[in-house]
Amino acid sequence: MFLADLHMHSTFSDGKLSIPELVDLYGQRGFGAIAITDHLCEDQTFLGKAAGYLKQTLTRATWPLYIEILRSEAERAWHQYRMVVIPGFELTKNSVSNHRSAHILAIGATEFMPANDDVLMLARQVRAQGALAIAAHPVSTRKVEKQTFHLWDRREELRAEFDAWEVASGPYIFDEVRESKLPVVASSDLHAPIQMTSWKTVFECERSQGAIMDAIRKQRLSYTFYRDPAGDREVVKNDDVTHAAFPLGSRYRADHLGNVAGA
Amino acid sequence: MADANDPVVPVIQRLIADHPAAPARLIVGDLWIGPNPKVNNMIRGYREAKYDWVVISDSNVRVAPDYLKRMVAHLDLGVGIMTSLVAGQNAEGIGGNLEATFLNTYYARGMSLAFAVKQPVVLGKSMMFRKSVAARFGGLEVLSRYLAEDYICGEAVRQLGLRTVMATDPVAQHIGQYSFSSFWARHIRWGRIRKMQSPLLFWFEPFLGIFASAIFGALAFQRLFGISPVLFACIHLTLWSVCDLLLMRRLGQKVEVKMPLFWFGRELLGLPMWLHIASGNTVNWRGERLKLQSGGILEANPPALSGATFNGRTQAQSSASLSLGNSDEQPSS
Repeated sequence: MFLADLHMHSTFSDGKLSIPELVDLYGQRGFGAIAITDHLCEDQTFLGKAAGYLKQTLTRATWPLYIEILRSEAERAWHQYRMVVIPGFELTKNSVSNHRSAHILAIGATEFMPANDDVLMLARQVRAQGALAIAAHPVSTRKVEKQTFHLWDRREELRAEFDAWEVASGPYIFDEVRESKLPVVASSDLHAPIQMTSWKTVFECERSQGAIMDAIRKQRLSYTFYRDPAGDREVVKNDDVTHAAFPLGSRYRADHLGNVAGA
Repeated sequence: MADANDPVVPVIQRLIADHPAAPARLIVGDLWIGPNPKVNNMIRGYREAKYDWVVISDSNVRVAPDYLKRMVAHLDLGVGIMTSLVAGQNAEGIGGNLEATFLNTYYARGMSLAFAVKQPVVLGKSMMFRKSVAARFGGLEVLSRYLAEDYICGEAVRQLGLRTVMATDPVAQHIGQYSFSSFWARHIRWGRIRKMQSPLLFWFEPFLGIFASAIFGALAFQRLFGISPVLFACIHLTLWSVCDLLLMRRLGQKVEVKMPLFWFGRELLGLPMWLHIASGNTVNWRGERLKLQSGGILEANPPALSGATFNGRTQAQSSASLSLGNSDEQPSS
């Protein structure tokens, strides 16, 4: 059994930590797997171009460095921490309207792909390269930030196109997703170390990329709230945590979850 | 060496013969691994380098005898790459003097400013890094996709969470006789690389020149503090020019009567050059016309025998790379 975080950002987009720092952050806490998923924005829209100008997104130019650093850090993470590092990115379609905005995680993707197509085509392209398509924070994140409702608005149409939907992001759990019976994962959407205290996915499979991806497809997972033992910085601000449901396993409780990482 | 007929070959052979204790070997012939011809020139030496520390120094760069010793003094595990300020020296002719002035003012202060605001840049004229660090971002093989392999090397090091350090002493670039067209073409190339890599910063570049900053500064100071624009412009132009001339002198540019003229000429050329840079995305380098894509990545255009050794580029400028001992060994030069 091990903890995994499948959604985080490095300095290749808008994260505060470099990829090696992310590896050490999670490796030192005993995590079994992480997926690094930097933003990959559209390059034909104003917001997408702005992200490119401000170096807040992966681009064709930064992609070769990104994938090479991920590859070498995955090797180091395995040898140093026995932690699996899965390559990926977050296809980022931002619009002024929250209902036209969508973020799609491509977990296990190693080929660059532009984010310009419709979300249905993007999900198919992600899966065509053997990766998982996961709907990122599809409902309100309860934070003052850009919201992305487009995937949720089209959830019936897209149900078969996505391998999972985020049921929690950061410290917040999404009751709408939990009650929808859609396949789920829980992640931190970590941009800075302070966000370590957040929801994570728990696996009981072999520690390998293939086994983890298979477990997500087959929904052999549970999720849990992880409280970062390294800091007392309390970032949880809503009551969801105290009555959180654990649909696939109830052995993890918020009051002792800090120990799970070492299991 | 890319070309076995390069006139520097016998010089290198004599150097090797004169220093039998230094493990050195001349490697002739380059290898196409990507569209960057400089990386293709270096890749064989790089792959065969025996030790971890690698120095890349362009053939028109002259360094002090204690260059390596001074570079090594900065090294620790947190350092990913070392670079140096380039001082243009021994300039002749209009193009040569403009080139030296450009390097000793615009680039010198730009690079110093970048380091001062913790946004270091790497100049490939002279740089030093560990092969083990480069291996973490794919080595020279990845850099071969970009025109500005030096800039990308610095970016990769930053992404690894390591520091870029500037050596305390500048290296000298021997300029000599240089035509105006060569000077212009070179700075169009450098400018277009900058534009593709940092498009946002590129739009602010005119303000790194004296005239645009004087005009906007004068207007701003008049509006904010009621200071006479003429007074502001006079003070600004005087301070700026004196600082630049001192910098040129500090970097070894010959002090002579025409020095201020070249300085003024370079400043006058700044805006037309910027407009020329803004107007296109292609560059000419080493006899090849290369098209830049966003981020400074190059369109691959492999030769007929992709991956094979090829020689005989008439305009090739050779780069030398040598491997130094790792931290456990005494480096040799």
